[in-house]
Amino acid sequence: MSRVTLKRLTWIFLRIGNLTFGGGDPSMAALQSELVHSRGWLNAEQYALIYGLARITPGTNLLAFSAASGWMILGWAGALSAVLSMTVPPAIIVVLLTGGYEAWNSNALAMAAIGGTLAAATGMMATSAWQLLAPQIGRGRRLRTLVIFLAALVASLRFSMSPIAVLGVAALVGLVWRGPAEQ
Amino acid sequence: MNLLVLYLLLLKATVTSFSGLTSLPVVRHDLVETRHVLTDRQLNAAVVAGRTAPGANGLYIVSVGYFVAGASGAAMGTLAVMTPAFLIIPLLRYLGARANRPAVKSAIQCVMLAAAGLVVSSTVPLARDALTGPLAVGIALASFLFLVLTRKDTVWVVLGSALIGFLAKL
Repeated sequence: MSRVTLKRLTWIFLRIGNLTFGGGDPSMAALQSELVHSRGWLNAEQYALIYGLARITPGTNLLAFSAASGWMILGWAGALSAVLSMTVPPAIIVVLLTGGYEAWNSNALAMAAIGGTLAAATGMMATSAWQLLAPQIGRGRRLRTLVIFLAALVASLRFSMSPIAVLGVAALVGLVWRGPAEQ
Repeated sequence: MNLLVLYLLLLKATVTSFSGLTSLPVVRHDLVETRHVLTDRQLNAAVVAGRTAPGANGLYIVSVGYFVAGASGAAMGTLAVMTPAFLIIPLLRYLGARANRPAVKSAIQCVMLAAAGLVVSSTVPLARDALTGPLAVGIALASFLFLVLTRKDTVWVVLGSALIGFLAKL
């Protein structure tokens, strides 16, 4: 196991947070490789616990994962450093990309290119929904998956029900209507 | 828009979601439908900016903040994305042993299913704005299939769709 310092920990989160594309899962996989396998700063059980809890922590899974990893390795200083490293530099890139969108707003060719990316964004969002659904389409779970998905869709789209209310009702339903593995 | 109000609205969206884009319905409800400080097109552009940059997909909130209130709004967005992450530490200390309880796991699964419904619900108005012709529909379908079937980086979808849009306009 290599020696842990705040500088080394920060560098790992900076490097992975700013060079890994594709969202949380690829970044968490890269962090697992660095923190568990390469350096031994976390063991496999700690990683599994952090990964599981990051899934149920409100907000962005990857940032919750980073906060917990940093906290387990170096306490609050580690948590703060990990979250800042994973958030601030990509946030600056997001602002630059957004500023570019506004600056190119009057250029027809640039807007055509942006129009292509906006169309792709709807495909990305559909992918996001699919990735939430896919793990729940297993044997014995299909009815529950279909009912809750469609009920949420109709409640939001047809009846303009608040998203928080939809999620709250879904959680209550989940407490009483369990899938086969949770019974 | 008052920056504290913007922070609290964005925090409300992030703290009530469980992955990158599941906060989108709350953002749209509060900023597009209720307060009219953001358009569907800007929200769509924010999603693209958030998914083009490295790191977490939830960073589209930073772009939303920028559209609403410039650099200060982006700072509020960044804070709103970071704040809920620290909730995991008390969870780690006190709730770690309970995370595998069947009832808790089942409730989380149902929240994720409902979140999928909400994401599709939010996609509908954005699609009305973005899918203006057969080419745009084709790009959207191709993006979906590419991401589901290949697991490649989103950045390739963004670059490819921009190139197709650009070439079609020449």
